[in-house]
Order: sequence, then structure tokens, then C-alpha cells
Amino acid sequence: MKKEKRETISKQLRWKCFSAVSSASGLASASFSCCGRFGIAAYRRYSSGSGYPNISLSSPLPGIPKPVFASVDGQEKYETKITTLENGLKVASQNKFGQFCTVGVLVNSGSRHETKYPSGIAHFLEKLAFSSTAQYGSKDEILLTLEKHGGICDCQTSRDTTMYAVSAEVKGLDTVVSLLSDAVLQPRLLDEEIEMTRMAVRFELEDLNMRPDPEPLLTEMIHAAAYRGNTVGLPRFCPGDNVDKIDKKVLHNYLRSYYCPERMVLAGVGIEHEQLVECARKHLLDVRPVWGESTPTNVDLSVAQYTGISIYFPDECLTQKEYFVSLSQEDDFIPFAVLNMMMGGGGSFSAGGPGKGMFTRLYLNVLNRHHWMYNATSYHHSYEDSGLLCIHASADPRQVREMVEIITREFIQMAGTAGEMELERAKTQLKSMLMMNLESRPVIFEDVGRQVLSTGKRKLPHELCTLISNVTASDIKRVTTKMLRSKPAVAALGDLTELPSYEHIQAALSSKDGRLPRMYRLFR
Amino acid sequence: APSICSTTPETRLTALDNGLRVASEETGHGTCTVGLWISAGSRYESEKNNGAGFFLEHMAFKGTKKHPQTALEQQVESMGAHLSAYTSREHTAYYMKTLSKDLPKAVELLSEVVQSSSLSEADIEQQRGVVLRELEEVEGNLQDVCLDLLHATAFQGTPLGHSVLGPSSNARSLTRQDLMDYINSHYKAPRIVLAAAGGVNHEELVGLAKTHFSGVSFEYEGDAVPVLSPCRFTGSEIRMRDDGLPLAHIAIAVEGASAASPDIVPLMVANSIIGSYDITYGGGKHLSSRLARLAVEENLCHSFQAFHSSYSDTGLLGIYFVTDKHHIDDMMHWMNLCTTVTESDVARGKNALKASLVGQLNGTTPICDDIGRHILNYGRRIPLAEWDARIDAVTPRMVRDVCSKYIYDKCPAVAGVGPVEQLPDYNRMRSAMYWLRF
Repeated sequence: MKKEKRETISKQLRWKCFSAVSSASGLASASFSCCGRFGIAAYRRYSSGSGYPNISLSSPLPGIPKPVFASVDGQEKYETKITTLENGLKVASQNKFGQFCTVGVLVNSGSRHETKYPSGIAHFLEKLAFSSTAQYGSKDEILLTLEKHGGICDCQTSRDTTMYAVSAEVKGLDTVVSLLSDAVLQPRLLDEEIEMTRMAVRFELEDLNMRPDPEPLLTEMIHAAAYRGNTVGLPRFCPGDNVDKIDKKVLHNYLRSYYCPERMVLAGVGIEHEQLVECARKHLLDVRPVWGESTPTNVDLSVAQYTGISIYFPDECLTQKEYFVSLSQEDDFIPFAVLNMMMGGGGSFSAGGPGKGMFTRLYLNVLNRHHWMYNATSYHHSYEDSGLLCIHASADPRQVREMVEIITREFIQMAGTAGEMELERAKTQLKSMLMMNLESRPVIFEDVGRQVLSTGKRKLPHELCTLISNVTASDIKRVTTKMLRSKPAVAALGDLTELPSYEHIQAALSSKDGRLPRMYRLFR
Repeated sequence: APSICSTTPETRLTALDNGLRVASEETGHGTCTVGLWISAGSRYESEKNNGAGFFLEHMAFKGTKKHPQTALEQQVESMGAHLSAYTSREHTAYYMKTLSKDLPKAVELLSEVVQSSSLSEADIEQQRGVVLRELEEVEGNLQDVCLDLLHATAFQGTPLGHSVLGPSSNARSLTRQDLMDYINSHYKAPRIVLAAAGGVNHEELVGLAKTHFSGVSFEYEGDAVPVLSPCRFTGSEIRMRDDGLPLAHIAIAVEGASAASPDIVPLMVANSIIGSYDITYGGGKHLSSRLARLAVEENLCHSFQAFHSSYSDTGLLGIYFVTDKHHIDDMMHWMNLCTTVTESDVARGKNALKASLVGQLNGTTPICDDIGRHILNYGRRIPLAEWDARIDAVTPRMVRDVCSKYIYDKCPAVAGVGPVEQLPDYNRMRSAMYWLRF
């Protein structure tokens, strides 16, 4: 009896919800709004599943107090505040409303600093992050503690920075900072953890080689070609033979030299600056790291030496051929970013819809005219003392020569005068991409951290937008001419029998129109 | 009673006279996302015009009566905006990400795309080739293939079994008239929501909506209102055996809860207890989900993911995993986990769920998408405070009871792609569904 009564009531509730919905939304929706489906699920006789309060999600839950919503007053012109502690550690924060915050430690250490060590330490450290530490017996404990505050943790290494980040509720700030200090300065690095990391690294290397998309491999190659054997040219992923060479002692040696307070920044987004500084004082000042005092004596301060050379990876099995040409650039980060936006490019199948760069030069001049090319994209990598502007192209192996010529011609044309409309479009797209990316809290956190780590200050988004607006066509011309004077770096992957020689490519890039020198062959 | 001070702004909802709903959340960003969420999708299509919605999505940005294709594209590119669309089984969305000051232009372009798309014959022919090529490419993505097969078998014979892209025969034969019919029967004002998030002002948005969308009709021809017939779930299986593939992709699901059903909350908690796993996660033995720990210790699989797809009157609750051909049998023991749920598992699951609900809302586009979908599914935007309250009300006993309501002794739907020889016979899998012991 009771069960039937409950079911009738739940039926009535359901109809009430639907009539409320349909009257709010007009005439036609009533007949096909979710008809109460009184199928098997509702009529189970032996399970008590339907006995629970069943207020459909379409109507508000009764009994909860009415929430008071936040209101946004004016523009969010919060500033980034920076403080330097006594031991050299910088603390930077940007306030933002919301109940969640992202806090993390960025260290000026990456694969570029591994000259005197076996390559791959950065890769290992990334996988070992947030494992057992002095206070937390295992990764599980760390995750449990974080879950109490709805938090997640992550580590990312790149060529020049290592970033440990935690996103959690604002009330858990103290726990978060203590956890970060533990994870960065006092990891236990147990043998079994290192063994598991070795397995994970091997899997990742296998996965990289198996993937149809060659981009990560090519990025490695082009950096190795551009900066032969030094700093940024060192491999970012651990080379296969080094996987077994790296152990606790090697890691401690490295950490001793590079993980010192002067090379670190504690950044936070979504919290008050004073609170963050207080937590930093409590947990990061005068903490003795597990490897002993940090002695920054063996620090590699080398400046990236650009050496353009070529690196080829002939591989008969690949049907496509990938090709990267890049040139160095030093300052003038913003004009190069605008230039990169103007060149654009992507896959030949489709740009992805309006707004994704279908009017950029690589689409208009290259992909739309030569349908046999699979892909032509321009990339811009920038480090604190040097940078790369690359064009990546891929096509069938038999058309390598034409492809190379097209790319060299594009490079030469970069030094010509940019059209006014295309320049304006590139600037607007760059500004809007910047603003859209900075909507997300983790991105703001990374931006604050990286800027403070490299320059000690942070330029706010609207300042960057002004700088972008001030770029003129003559700026682009100036930076491109300077860039074209340096030697090119070439990386190629695939069936390379038809690839022109490096000297020819170099000659093409120094010529006026970008054409490859004519090759006369008696036997074709 | 004390009021909850929320740290998110309110979502404001207004309805125009013709039934079109306008909703927005003002967050003060310099950018915004604005879009149209429409209650139309492959579920509303018949066998003959299956794929019309997807084709229409391709045609959408090929020009309108006022802006031919190049003009439309140049406008969008010069604004630095991104124009995108997606179609799913029950929803279609057209949205644009742009700087906040360009909101009026964005709404104008969107209104043209939806109401006066030119749909020229030449463009239709050209897009046929693109659609066929995309159908070919999708065949390579085995996760999508597996989940599509799952829907096709679970909802066989009903419109929910159709795949969103439609068969290639339809891609070859759809005409302009089919696409116009589709628009005229489904793009009606009460089924459309104009949603926006970011640096947008609600009054301004409503004004713009009145200017551009008052013309959207709310009446059907001949008063023939399309009725969504219920889609029955059929316990069944489908296997696409191919021993040449390196890994097997398998999905098992039972009928789940509908979108607005209150059972969704305990089911979401159960899913976050099982969680997801991928072999490239560095966590190893210390992942929080028990199944993940087992998967690592015994090297059971490459990845798995618990999912719940819900539609307006039904749903699919299940697990999808990728493994090599020798471990399929071992992975089948996930069902036991529903009975052995403990207090701490549930506490963890609830926290993880609350965190992920908030964490996903990072940026104007996810917020706008959330607003659009909530209004189509529930008629209102559920505030985070209410989600928190509903999640807090979940107890371990509730999780066990609700799970047994949907899983215990029910016929599953199974889809397998790849080297699936070891996948047990359907009858064995069906009988395993009542081995659960309390």
C-alpha cells in the first residue's frame, strides 16, 4: 500500500514539474518535454531505490536557504602583488573572485640546465612529483588530504621551467602551501617510486614513437638542430639509454644545485597576498631540503647558443615527410608573436571553422593553392635569451622539393611589407586569444609565475594588449630581416631521398625570391 | 535560516514573447561566449534524414543571406572571434567566443546563421565531400566507434540508436529541401536558448535578443507538434571483431536515469568512486579508485572510464575500457564494486564530484555551455549551492540502493571493437549481473 502511495505522489510531483516548465517556456514545448517515463525502473518491487526523496532536478530542492549571489562591480582591475622573502624566494599573487584558488611553486630548472648531468632528469622529476615526502607517506595520503579541500595537484616540466601546481578551495591555503613545500623540498624519492617512474617514462617514450602525429618528435629535433648540444637543444624527454642511469643520487645532485630559493617563485591566483606571504614564511622560509643545503655553485648559466644545422631522421616507413625550418630571434617577442599569428596555418583538411585562422598567410598562399600539402603551420618558441620561429610542413615524399621551395619563399616574403588589413587582423586575433586564454585560472597562474620568474614583474593583460596594438608593419619588417640573416635550422622526418641539401636551403633563404638553386641532373 | 553566500554570480533567465529563453551570467571578464542551444539532434531524425543535423552544422558557416561566405569569415576573423558548433543526440549548439565589446555583432551573426543560412546548392555539393571524408576519419577513432555501437545496440530500432553523423548513404542523398524541412520543424523559439557568459550585461542581451530573434516562429505547420516517442532500451550486444587491431575497446552499460531524474546525483557519486584511469597516469598503486589500483597491480587494462549519458527520458550508465586481448575477462569484475561501497569511498567520491563540478567551470565557454544545457534539460540553471546540497544528501546506503535499482539483475548492452575473442558470451555476462551479494 505504502509503495503505491509513494509512487502516486512521485508521479504527481513529476507532472507538477513538467507543467511548471512548459508554462514557463511557451506553447509547443509541452508535448515533447520529458514525458514521465514510468517504465521498469520506477516499478521495481524488491529494491528500495525509489523510496528516496525524488525531487526532479527540474525543480529547486526545498529546504536549502536561498543563496546570495556575488555581484561583479566594475572591471576586475586587480593588480599582481610581488614580495621577495629574505631567502630570495619571490611570492606573487593575483586576486580573483571565486571559492577556488590555484597555488604553486615554479622553479627555474628544466632540461636546458642538464648539460653536466645525464639528460632526462626533468622528465623524471615530472613523473615523481607529489610522491611520498617527509610528512606524507605516500601519494595516496597527499590525494586524500587534497580531496578534503576539493583539490588536485599536477606537475609540468618544460625546457626551462618546472611547475608544481595545486588547485583547491581557498580555505585550505595553509595545507596547500605546506604540501607544496614538502613536495618540492622534501621528496623521499624511494627506490620503488623511481622504479615505477622508469616504467612510466618507458611507456611514454613508446607512445611518442607510435603516435601518428609526429609533432613532439619534430619539436625535439628542431631544438636539437637549432641549439646543437647546448641548453635548449638538450632533449626534453629522457633518451632511452638514460632511463636506467638516473637514480636517487643523481637526482639529489641536480636538486642541490638548482632547487634553491632564489630560483623559485611561489605564485597564487584567487587569494589575498598577505595570506600567501604568511604561509610562505611559515612553510618555505628556513626549511632544510632533504638533500642538504642548496649550494648553487654548479649552476649552469650558459646562454643559449644558436647554431643552425640540420638534423635528419630518414625513415622509409613513413609516407609523409615532415619538415621544420626555423630561425633565431632574440628580443622583440611581441612583433614575433604577431608575425606568428599572421602566418598561422594548420591542417589542410580544415581550419576548424571561422576564427581559427583561415585567412592567415599559410592558408591563403600555401594550403589553398597546393592541395597536395597535408599540413603547414607556424610555431613560435620563446625562451629568456633566444627563440625560434618555425614553419612545419608535411607532404608526400615525392613532392619534398616543391614543398621546401614553397616554405623558403614564405620565409622570404615575411620580410616584405605586411598588408594593413592582415596585420590588423593578426593583432586583433592575438589580443583576443590572449584574453580568452586568461579566462582560465590555471592559465593566469602560469602567466603570473612565468613572468615573475623570468623578469621579476608581471605585465597585466591590458598592458600586453597595448603593446600588441603598437606593433607596426615596419617592426615586422625589421625583425624578419634580422632573423633571416642567421643560419637556418632544418629538421626532417620521413622518406628523405628527394630532400634538397642544407646548403641549397641556406642559399634559398638568402636569395631574393626564396627559390632553390637550379639542379641540373643528367640522369633523372 | 542563514543564507548561503555564494561566490558565483547569479544566472539570470528571461523568456521572450515567442518562448525563446535568454540566460546569462555576468562574470566581469573582458571576453565572453554567447551562443544558441537548441533542443534538436539526431534523436529527432528519422532513418531517411539521419545526419541532417550534422550536415546542417557543416553548412552553417557557409554564408547567410546578408553575409556571403567570405564576408562572414572575414568578419569573424577580423573580430578575433571563434565561431563553433556541435551536434549531439538531443542538443545542437552554435556559439561564438569573442571580446565583450563585440557582443552585439556576435548576436547578430548568430541570429543570421540560424535563421537565414543561405544553403546554396553548390555549397551543399561541396560539403558532401567534406562530410564523407569526416565520416571516414571518424572510423579511425575507436572510442567513438565503440560508444556509437553501444547506442546503436542499446536503443536499437529507436531514434536514439542513430549515430549523430548519419550513414554515408544519407550524406550522399540529402538535399536542400531536407535541410530546410529540418530547420522548419525543429528550430522553434520555445526550443531555443540564447545563453551567454563573461562580460555581458543581461538587459543588453535581452534587448539584442528582442531585436534579432523576435521573428523566430513558435508555431508548427498544420499544428503538427513533433512528439518525442520513448526510446526503449534493449539488453543486447554487438561485436566488431578484428584481430588485427592492437587493443580491444569495450563498453558495457545498463539503462540509466533520465537527465532530470533525482537519481542522477547518487549515480554520479558512484561514477566518481569508480573514476577513470589511463596507463600514462603516474599515480601507480596510489590512485584513489579501487578499480584503478587493481588495474595497475595486475596490469589489467590501458584505460577505463565510468560514464553516464543521460537523455530526456532515459540514459546509459556504464563503463568503457581499453585493454589488450588477454585481459578482457579479468576486467569484467567491475560490477562487484557497486555492492562493496564503503563510507570513506562515498565521502571521497562526493568531494571529488563537487570539486569537478566547480573545476570544469573554468572560463566563459564551459560556463556558457553549462547554462545552455541546464536550461534545455532542467528548465533552469541549478546553482552550485543546490548541487552541493544534493550531493551532501547522498549516503552509502543510498548509493547502494540506487545502484542496485539500475544494475542488479538487469540486461546490459555490450559493445566490443577489436580483438574481442575473450569477451564472455552474453548469457554469462547477463547472469553475472545477479551475482552481487549484499
